[in-house]
Order: sequence, then C-alpha cells, then structure tokens
Amino acid sequence: MAAAVSIQGLTKTYLDVWTKTEIRAVDRLNLEVEEGEVFGFLGRNGAGKTTTIKMLLGLIFPTEGTATVLGKPIGDIGVKGQISYLPEEAYFYEGMTGWDMLDFYARLFRISEPERSKRIQKALEDVYLDPSAWRRPLRGYSKGMRQRTGIAQALINDPKLLILDEPTSGLDPIAHAELRDIIANVGRQGKTVFLSSHQLPDVELTCSRVAIIHQGKLRTVGKTAELTSGDTVEIVYKGGDAALLEKIRKVVGAGEQSNGLGRVPGVAPKDTNPIVDLIRGAGAEIVSVAPHKRTLEEVFVDTVMKETGS
Amino acid sequence: MVTLAIAKQTLEDMLRRKILLILLIVAVAMIALGPSVGFLSPRESSAVLRSLGLAVILLAGLLITVLTGIQVIPTEIERRTIYTVLSKPVQRYEFVLGKFLGGLFTVFVMLASMGIVFLGVLRYQEGRFSPDMVMGVIMTFFQMMLLGALAIFFSTFATPVVNFFMSFGLFIVGNLSSVTESLLENKNVATRAVATLVHYAIPNFGNFNIQNKLIHPQVVIKNLNMFIMQNVAYAIIYSAVLLILAIIVFDRREV
Amino acid sequence: MHQATRRKLLLALLPLAIAVVFTQSRIDPVVADMHRGVKTPFAGLSTEFILGPLLGMQQAVAGLLWVRADEFFHEGDYDAILPMVRMVTWLDPHNLDVYITGAWHLAYNFTDSSERSDRRYIPAAQRLLEEGDANNPTVYDIAFELGWQNTDKIKDYDRAYYWYKKCAEERKGADERGEMTKPVPMFVWHQLAHSLTRLGRIDESIDIWRKALAMSMKIVREDPKDYSKRNVRDSERHNLELMLKRKYSRYTHEIDWALDSKLPSTTDPNTGEPSARDLYVFKSAEEARQKQEQYRAVGQNPPALSVGQPRPPAVQPPWETAFDVRPTFTADRVLELKGQFNVGDGARVTIRLHDENWRPPQLKAFTFTIDQSVTLMQDQHSVRQGIWGRKIDMSKDPKMYSFTSDRYFLVFEFDPRGTSPFVQDRFGWSGEGMTDRKYLTVESQKTPPNRILRKVYRITRAQVLRRAPITEKDVFPADRYAELQRQTP
Repeated sequence: MAAAVSIQGLTKTYLDVWTKTEIRAVDRLNLEVEEGEVFGFLGRNGAGKTTTIKMLLGLIFPTEGTATVLGKPIGDIGVKGQISYLPEEAYFYEGMTGWDMLDFYARLFRISEPERSKRIQKALEDVYLDPSAWRRPLRGYSKGMRQRTGIAQALINDPKLLILDEPTSGLDPIAHAELRDIIANVGRQGKTVFLSSHQLPDVELTCSRVAIIHQGKLRTVGKTAELTSGDTVEIVYKGGDAALLEKIRKVVGAGEQSNGLGRVPGVAPKDTNPIVDLIRGAGAEIVSVAPHKRTLEEVFVDTVMKETGS
Repeated sequence: MVTLAIAKQTLEDMLRRKILLILLIVAVAMIALGPSVGFLSPRESSAVLRSLGLAVILLAGLLITVLTGIQVIPTEIERRTIYTVLSKPVQRYEFVLGKFLGGLFTVFVMLASMGIVFLGVLRYQEGRFSPDMVMGVIMTFFQMMLLGALAIFFSTFATPVVNFFMSFGLFIVGNLSSVTESLLENKNVATRAVATLVHYAIPNFGNFNIQNKLIHPQVVIKNLNMFIMQNVAYAIIYSAVLLILAIIVFDRREV
Repeated sequence: MHQATRRKLLLALLPLAIAVVFTQSRIDPVVADMHRGVKTPFAGLSTEFILGPLLGMQQAVAGLLWVRADEFFHEGDYDAILPMVRMVTWLDPHNLDVYITGAWHLAYNFTDSSERSDRRYIPAAQRLLEEGDANNPTVYDIAFELGWQNTDKIKDYDRAYYWYKKCAEERKGADERGEMTKPVPMFVWHQLAHSLTRLGRIDESIDIWRKALAMSMKIVREDPKDYSKRNVRDSERHNLELMLKRKYSRYTHEIDWALDSKLPSTTDPNTGEPSARDLYVFKSAEEARQKQEQYRAVGQNPPALSVGQPRPPAVQPPWETAFDVRPTFTADRVLELKGQFNVGDGARVTIRLHDENWRPPQLKAFTFTIDQSVTLMQDQHSVRQGIWGRKIDMSKDPKMYSFTSDRYFLVFEFDPRGTSPFVQDRFGWSGEGMTDRKYLTVESQKTPPNRILRKVYRITRAQVLRRAPITEKDVFPADRYAELQRQTP
C-alpha cells in the first residue's frame, strides 16, 4: 500500500521575538500514513499537531525536512484537489446558508454545475444535516450542525485524503457521538483520514493506527490494538495480611488491599508465578488472574508522563 | 472562476457588514438633507449642494474602502476560513486578487448607491439631470480602487489597526501632492531628489479630485476626457503594482 | 510560487513603475492648472475643517464655512465674516459668489452711526474682487462686479470702463452643460455703454448701444417668442435714441423735450435704429430774446437769434453756478455746512474729509485689516432751490474717525459726469455748459477734459476739535490738491 502522507524530518521553528529564543513547534518528525487507513494524530494542546497539518497543506512552510502528500510535494495544487481539510474551530461565513457555503467551496474545487448541486446535496446528506437547515444562514446553526457542515465542506470534492483537526471538540455528547460515526463512516468508504485529536476514546474507536506527538517530537506510533493490548496481568486474591502485601510490593512495586480483597495490577509475565506462589504460600486464596488491556488514554498518559518525567 | 468565486463571496460578506451599511445609510441621509442648507443665490446653493454631495460620497467611500481593504484578508485569518480556502486548489494569487476584486465590487456597489441618490436629489432640486456628476463619482471610484489596492497590500503584512493608519496617512499625504510638487523646484539638490522620489512614489490621490471642475463651470481642464483616461490608467497601473507586491508578499506569508 | 515566477513578477514591476511616473507627469500640470489659487489654510480652523482639505474636499469645507458666514450675516457679526471670506476663497478660489458677496460686504456694510460707509474698506473690496477675477479669468461675473463697484460706490468711471470692457469683450458665461461658451448677458454691454457715457465718450457710447442693439436684433430674430429678449432689444433702442437726442440737443441744437415727447418715434427700417430729430426752432421772439439775455449774463456777445431759426445747443451759453460752501465745526468733531449752488434740484455735492497724507491705497494683496488710524469721511448732499446744508457728526464714531493726524483736507466737489441727465441737459456730459467764478477746475488730463467744481480747505486737528474756527484763509488751491492726490505718499 502506498503512503498517503509521508513525512521526513519535518521541523518548524519559531523565533520568539521577545525572548530571542527559538521554539521548536515540530521537531524532526517522521511519519507515514498508509492509504485507506484512519490515522489518529494525538497530542496535547500545543504539541505541534496543527503546525504539522498546516505544513502538510502548505499554509505554513517547514524550516527543515520534507513531506509528500498523495505522492506529491507539499503545496502541490493538483494534489489539493484530492485532499480536504477541516480546521479546528473554523467559524466559516456566518451570513451564508449551508448550501451557499458548500457552493462556494465547490467552486474553489472548480466543480461546475450541474455536478456541483449534486455534490452539495450528497455531502449534506452524508453528514445528516437536516434539509430544512440547508437554506438557513450558518449563524442560526448549533455547534454540531456547524461541525457537520464543516465535514460536508471537506467531503464536497470526494477527497482521497481528509485531514480533520479536532473535529469533535466542544460538542455535546450526542453531537459528539454522531460526528464520530460520520468520521467512521468516511473511513469505511476507503478514504484516508488523518484525524488530529485529543479526544482519545474517539480515536480509539475510529482509528486503526495512531501516532503520539509531544513537544513537537513523535513519541509513539503503532496500531491502536497493539498499543492498547497489555502484556501484564492483574491478580486478585482473598485473605492475606499486611505482611503479604509488603512482600508483593517488594516484587512488583504495586498492590493494595481493602475489604478483605487484595489487588495487584500490572504484573509482568516473569513475576506472575512468584506472586501467585507468595499468595498461596501465605494461605490466601486466588480470586482471578486476568490479562490487563490498557485504554488509549492510559497509553497516552504513560507516554506523555514518561517524557515529562524525564 | 476561483478568483470570481472568492470575489463574490467577499462582496456578499462585506454587504452583510453592519458598519458599512450604517455608513451608507448615514451618507445617503446626508446627501438627501443637502438641499436643506439654505442659501443666498441659486448658484451658491447649486455649488454647495454639489460640493457637499461629492464630499459625502468621497468621505463615505473613503471609510468604506479603508474598512473593507484592511479587513478582507485579516478577517479570513481570524475566522480561520482562510485555511479552508487555501487548502483547496486555490493559488495564493487567486486568493489575493479575489479578495481585492470583492472589496472593489463592494466599494462600487456603495458608491453607485450613493451616486444614484445624489443624482436623484439634484434632479429633484434643480429639475434637470446632472450627468457630469457621474464623472465625479467615477473618479472617486478609481481613487478608491487605488486606495483599496494599497490597503490590500498593507494587509499582507500589517495588522488591521496599523493598516488603517498607514492607509489613511498615505491617503492624506497623497492628497498633498501640491506640496511635494512645489518642492520639485527647490534650489537644494538633495531636497529636490527626495521630493521627486516622494512625489512620484506615493500614490497621488489628489489628482483624482475634479470636484473643482464639476462645481465651477469656469474651471477649464484642457482635454477633460484625456485627463480622466490618464487618471484611470494611473489608478489601474499603480493598483497592479501594489497587487503584484501584495501577491509576492502574501505568497510567503504563513497563515 | 517558483523563484522564476517571482523574479518575473518583480521584473514586471519596473515598466509598470515607469508607466506610473509617466502618467502622473502628464496629469500633474493639468491638476496644477485646475487648482491655481487654491491655498490650504490651517491656522484657526477646527479639526473637521482641517481634515476636509487633507482628504481632498476643499470645496465642501469652503461651502460649509460659507454657510457659517451666512449665519454671521444674519447675526450681524460683520467682523467675523471677513476671515471666513478669506478662508473660503483660499480653499475654493472658484466660488464666485463668495468674492462678490464678500466685496459687497466690505464696500457697503461697514458704516458709522449715520449710515455713512467706512470707505477705508474699499481698497480691500477691490483687491478681493481682483483676486477673484484673476482666479476665474474666463467668467464675467467678478469683472462685472468690479465695474459696478467702481461705478456705484467709488465713482471711478475709468476703472469701471476698464472692467466692463474686459467683461464684455473677453469673458463668457456658463451654458446649460457647464461649458464656458455662452456670451455675456446684454446688461454687461449696457453697463459698458453707460460707463463710456460717464467718461464723456459719447460717440463711443453710442457705438456700443448700436452694437448691442444689433446683437439683440439678431437674438430676437433667432428666438422671436422670448418676451424678455424683445424687452432688452426695445430698451436698447430707447437708450440709443435717448443718447442720440441728448447729444443733438446738448451740442447741436437744443431739443424742445416737451414737443419731442408728443411726436411719434422714428425708426430706421433696416437697422432698427431710431433717428435723431430734426431741428427745433424758436417759436417766438420772446424765446429768442431770453436766450440772448443768457449770453449777456455770462459776459458773451449773443448771436443773432430770431423766430424760425434753429436753437443753439443747450450747453450754450455756459451757466454760472455760483458754487460755494462755508464749513463750521459747531462742536467737537461736529461739522455744519451751508452751501449755495445755482443748479437744478437734485444735483449732488460730494463732501470729503480726510488726513492730509491719505491717498487711495493700492493693495498688492487682499487683507481685511485696515489702518484704524486713518480718518476718511465721505458724504454727499443734494441741492434744493440753490442752497444746501448739512450737519455731519463724527464724534460718535471714534473707530472710524480717529482724527490722529495733525492736518486734514476738507473737500467739496461737484462732478457733472456723475450727475443726473436733466442737470446734464444744461451742462453737457463733461460740464461744457458750466462755469464758476471761483471753483471751476478743468481736468485737462482726461479725454475729453472734464469741468468740475471743487473747493478745498486744509484744516488742522485743532479746527476739527473746534479749538479754532475755519476761515477762508484755509482754502487750499484745488489744482494743487488734485496733484497731491495723484502722488503716492
């Protein structure tokens, strides 16, 4: 499979005018996004996600490094016809109706009538926007409706690659869930989706692969399933005393005991048997030994905390 | 087509601006109230009516042009809509030209509205049409075109507030060309050189003011049509220069 | 954008910049021409009036200032109007009415408590009009106003003629399209003719009336339905007829006007011109004898005159006017005059009191400030039944009559050229039929020479303040006075 996005050593530095210091917003980033995958691009606010996206779109220019999008160097006008972009918190043109806004963007893609009207209709239907709102000005839309219109705007050219920057931020739970479904749906149509977000449950549900960026540097990249699949177990036992807990903690550095139940999380395979032996040796009863699956949130927090800690 | 689409969107967006509409309404009201200024002789009232009308159109046009010119590009950045536009197959020069044309259409619509009201008032007041006043509005339009191009150029690198003062300041200096022109004959070589540079480099807005001719029939402009054509050519060529500069600067602008 | 594209764009800027400079160099001179006379005054103007000119809206600002000046007129704040006039004409040197109204205001509206004009403003009024005319050299309006002011207020008929002639021959009016193509109105030609009459240049005046009539005949032929144009033509015909008759009566054979009015008018069918009457003759021996008596009264031998013979011209024999006046200051700065003047009722004597060194100033530039130390009083009074008297109180207006000079001229004058036609019927246009034992002055430098009456006193400040009486010893030679007036101080 070809790379939809390929980033090599991409770097963006800004000069802080006041302190005369250099700020590295993106630091030697390497990344490959395969065609057809829904790719999650994770990071805290200010991690460099939006900067990276803007460089991919040619809105700002890299200090160092290169990247290709759909096989062409960044900024290529021909490629721009095949990609689309939903920026974070775009306000769009408040006075325009949803339809007119899509018509405007369709014109920018040089789509002429009657194709244009067909595309607009399809895009609006794809994002489930209530047809009664199509001819109303955007200023009367709810945030969810706006964001849907934003996605529709990104679908108007039937793109090969969608770049979505925090599409679900600030939405109520229902709008949020709906939008997540729309994105997942787009992914199922075989389009490549580059989803920048810090809404980790969304990413976990929709993305096949994720990258975590922190302080401008790529920290982790991999399949979502692999990142979240834990190789540790959690052991729960009944009975036992404080001395037992003390011994367990010496081995794995964790464990707690309450209401007669002891719980030892994050036990590595090599420690499983010694811990079980300890519990049994102390006359306590094993309740369960279960493999532990991490949430993406835990992966993210671990990755970021590790960096912050070091 | 892309340029025109952007221009159309800009025009519609600008026409929805309350501040511009308020300016238009105030200007139209002032033009309509012009005849209420009482006068001694018919000639005086005709001269005052015309000069006030043309001045109101110029002043309102000036504010509309500057407010439009300094806003069209920064608003896109502020609303982040520029990301959606420039991430599409739109060349940056198309964007700049589209924004300029959209602003120009806005100014045209505004000036034309005021001009029609002005002609109507004159028609009502004097019982005959004054087609020569159209010439004044046309000259104002081209003057504003040049000012708009200037504001667009500044907006590619300056903030709207800074741009407002720069555009206004240059408009004032460009209206004082008689001062720099008088310095062209200064005895001091250095003064003369600087004056020459300033005189020709700064857009000459003063040359568009033909109110003098339009209000007072006795003011003679040799070959009026030629004079108007030259001013129109000047506005177009100078605007082209400013737009090329704007395109060059905006091409490397990070948004 | 590729580097190459960028370079191409930058290169394209060069010819464009050259085109900009070239175009501007073509426009500049035309604009300079259009804005000749415009000045942008800043001192004393509030913000909106400064901003306006900066933004290229001089005319509108001028208009607003003029609206304000109009309010001052109504409020009677005459001093405030003057600086407004100055600013408005600087900002908009093509606003004709501002010059005309401003000059009228200067010449007529400043008066003392007895409504005598403050004539110290007249040079400023003239200068303002001249400036306006120089700024608008194609239009007739201001030149006409200059002619009128010199006729009506200053009574300088030479200058009036100069401006009317310029106005009639060189100026145009604006047509409906705003182009300066329209000939000046016929009243300009009428005033030109009148000014020539006032100069005693009667044949030239008649020529102008003829010319005007011919023009009006043509105008009426082109537009026969316009009643006002026919009216103008008829009045020209009437004036021409009157001039011809007066000339005939005054200088060839006196017309019996009573008889003349009963006869029908005769008109040349080709030119539309009226023809002068044929001779009038003595109808009785008594008429002839009375005329001979008049010759003897002025010491001339009478010609042989008899019934059936044509009358001599009206100006023969010259009339002894017995002009005299006795001035007395009856109180501090209160002048009382008693005069005699043997002419018909209504002839006006001009009275002038001014500093010994005062001359009509020639202003190089318009200024609305006047020299407050100058004293210049001018008045006139009509004669009734051979005598006249007048009391002139100058004590109430120290601003106008400061009397700071040590010596003054007190002048009494009668100029036949400025007087009414029925007086002129006896004297002729230039006083040919007038003589006076004491005060006749022949202005021989004029063509034709003018015979005026002038009595001049040279008095002191003490006499004005009534510390010493005025006597006939203070009478100053009129010729010498005229000579002094012609010298620049």
